[in-house]
Formats: sequence, C-alpha cells, structure tokens
Amino acid sequence: MKGLIRNNFYSMENNIKISFILALFTAIVSFFVKHDAFIQMIIAMQLCIFIVNVGTSLHADVVSKWNKFELTLPVKYNDVIKAKYISFSMLILFGIFMGSITVIYAYVTSVFSNVQSIFYGYEFGLTLSATTAGIMYPLMLKIGTEKNEMIIILSAIAAVGLQVLLSAVLTPLTGEMNMKHPLVGTVSAAAALAIFVCSYFVSVKIYRHKEFY
Amino acid sequence: MNTALTITGLTKKYDNFTLDNISFSVPSGSIVGLIGENGAGKSTTVNSILGLIKKDGGKITILGQDIDDLDYTVKEKVGVVFDGSNFSEELTPIKLSKVLRDIYSSWDQSYFNDLLSQLDIPAAKKIKTFSKGMKMKLSIAAAFAHHPHLLILDEATSGLDPVVRDDILDMFLEFVQDEEHSILVSSHITSDLEKVADYIVFIHEGKMIFCMPKDELLERYGIIKCGAAQFDAVDKNDIVAYRKQDYEWQILVADREKAAKKYPKAMVIPAAIDEIMLLYVKGVN
Repeated sequence: MKGLIRNNFYSMENNIKISFILALFTAIVSFFVKHDAFIQMIIAMQLCIFIVNVGTSLHADVVSKWNKFELTLPVKYNDVIKAKYISFSMLILFGIFMGSITVIYAYVTSVFSNVQSIFYGYEFGLTLSATTAGIMYPLMLKIGTEKNEMIIILSAIAAVGLQVLLSAVLTPLTGEMNMKHPLVGTVSAAAALAIFVCSYFVSVKIYRHKEFY
Repeated sequence: MNTALTITGLTKKYDNFTLDNISFSVPSGSIVGLIGENGAGKSTTVNSILGLIKKDGGKITILGQDIDDLDYTVKEKVGVVFDGSNFSEELTPIKLSKVLRDIYSSWDQSYFNDLLSQLDIPAAKKIKTFSKGMKMKLSIAAAFAHHPHLLILDEATSGLDPVVRDDILDMFLEFVQDEEHSILVSSHITSDLEKVADYIVFIHEGKMIFCMPKDELLERYGIIKCGAAQFDAVDKNDIVAYRKQDYEWQILVADREKAAKKYPKAMVIPAAIDEIMLLYVKGVN
C-alpha cells in the first residue's frame, strides 16, 4: 500500500506544490488583514485548498490507465481505496498544518478576540474538505472523472448545504439559525468526518463491482 | 506439460457483443499470440484474465490458481503491459521504480536500471513527455523488472518502430528460454507473432476460430489462387473461407498438401497468419 500512496502523491506533486504556495500566500495576506471573520475564512480555505487537487489527479489516473493497471498489481482491492483515503486525509492534514501558520501568527499578534473564532475556521474547513472528498470520490468512481470539476463544485455545494441543514436542525438548541454557532460547527465537522468514513466503505463497494476496460 | 494460464469456456456478455466460450491454455515456456480484428474480443479476453471485468461464465487459472481467489503471491508473478502508458504521467521512471519497489517484493532495481539504458529510456524525464513508443518500452521494462513468470501483454508492440519492436521481440524470446516463463500477447501485428509465437489463438466476433501451434498453422494452411472456373470445381468441403479479388479467387484451405494434390492445376501457396486472418474476417466462410 505504501507504493500506492507514494504514487498518489507523485501524481499530485505539482498541484500540491501550487497549493502550498497558495496557502502560504493566504497566510501572508492574513498578516495584513487583521479581522476575525477574514482569518476564519483563510483557515477554512487553507484546509480545502489541497483537497481540490484530487479531481484532477483522479482524472489523470484514468487517462493514463493507472487506475486499471493498479488492479493488476499484487495489492488488495481494499488497499487501493485505502491508499486513496489515506492520501485524502494527508491532504487535509497539510491544510490543517498551513492553517496553523495563520493561527500561530494570529495568536502571537493577538488578532483573535476569542479562541472559538479559530475553532470555527477549522471546523468549517474540515466540514468542507472532508465532505467534498467523501462525496466526490465515490461519485467519480461511479460516473467517471470526465466532469471532475463539476463533481468537485457539486460536492463543495453539498458540504455547505450540510452545514446550512445542520444549523437549521439545531435551531432549537442554538436559539437561532446560526452557522457560526459553536455547536453547529462541531456537529458539522463530526458529520463531515462520518461522511468521509462512510464514503470509504461505499467506494470499496463500488470498486468491487466496477469493470475496467 | 505445465500450463501457466488455462482458460475454459470463458464467456462475457454485453448488449451488442458476446465473448463466447473461449478455451485455450498457455503452456509454460511458450509464447501464445492472441489475434483477431479490432473488436474481436482480444482485450475482453485479456481483461477477463486479469479480473478487470467480471466474466459471466467459464474458469480461468493463472499459475495453477483460480483468478476468483487470486492472491498476492501469484499476482507478484504476473507482469502486465497494456497498450499505451500504464502509469501516472507526472511520474519519471525513477519515481515509478520507487512506487513499484514498494509494491513488488521481487522488484529488481538494478535490472530495471539496465533495461532503461538498454531501451534508451530517459530515467529522469516525466512520462508525459515520452512518445508512445517510449511509454510502451517503459511499461515493458517495468513488467520485466519484477521477474514475472507470466507476462500478459495487450497490443504491447503497437506504436513501436520496427527496430525497437525487434529488440522487444528478442527480449520475449529470451524470457521464455528457461521453460518456466510464458507470455500471452494479444496483437494485431501478426508478423510479430509469426516471429515469436509458439501457438496462435484466433478470435473472430467473440468466438474462438482456432488455437493451434504456429508452425502447424503455417505448414498446414494454404491459399488456392484461381479463376472462376477453377473455383467452381473446388470441393466446398475443402474451403475454409474464400474471397474474390478482381478476377482472382482466393480460397483458404486447412490442408495445403492435400489441396495441391487434389487440384494440381491450381496454384496453392502457403498462407501467412495475416492472410488467414484476413480471409476469415473479410471472406465468406
């Protein structure tokens, strides 16, 4: 499985480098725009910036027929999918790492008025990235990668929709429909992680029945 | 005789195509060529063998193990090359070797490096910058570098220039020298198979027409070239397939010597593999 993960990262290498540069750029921008809401959004963006590479990378694997070839290797079907999800998790971790640069700076310069603001940035970013990856990958396995950009956009919309839905469902507990309420943020992030985990099992099932021509 | 690959009654049904009851085997130490026109079912056969598509019927065993229960150890011993590149285009051959050595326990890095030099493959260039021929050579080098017992190649020599193709065919011949290694190669370049194959399996419209030793095929089959009057005189039971070209009739016969004796006035010539295939596909059976 190590080889499969290595292959995933090699094939995304250039895009990951660009994502690091963009994440660093946004971190630098946050040094100058010292506003809670803006910094929250930067952290969220930094968490998602790496996962958007996945669509392009999956499409490239289909075009090069690697997705077909890897099944002829001495690996289990489950390992192919597991390697993908480990790679996605690492991309999200890269985002968390880059978000931390922003957080550390904000902490050092006392930009944040409260810690909850930091959490919201992470929670929203995690909701977006984990839900997007969790919806996007099985969908691409099922219908193909030709429309990968559209699938990513739809998955991201679904992620925002999830948070809106949860803020509505949790209104009795939060008092009003508030997406930035700590409870909504926490429940959304937990739901996104649950979607991500469930998505692995769905993908394994799709993969087992998929035919490669 | 041991067999590296056995296919019995392989069937795969699609809405508009059926691979129907294909049976053949690849004996150890031999090269088996799978021929047929585009869409005949060669790739469907190869994909079924590799478990990439689900067969509807039949049994396939690779190195003695049923493909439905294929484990790591057997997959380690199988090398696969598809038409075109098999690898992520962003990789370089060096990075590819790092990927594959983490996957194959039998990966031989020094052999892979030797193959890269032998086949003039730049080790540090990205695969996306390679020509089709270069990508094929890389795929072949990667397939050889983990010392497989069985090589399965789908149109592996297409896109290669004649010189490189010849080198690759020599590699195939060397590979099967020790009688433990075997190759199944599907190709529409029948001249390649005429050079290296021990057995020829011919698939036409999803059905297996024949599976026989290449030498026997080339010794036995013949083409009668004649005019209309002679064509009418030929016993229809002797005709495998025929076609008319301008004023000449070409009749494929399964027993050249017998035909030459039976029709002494007709010109009976040996049939090359592509002529046999052509008459089956384009002629009247």
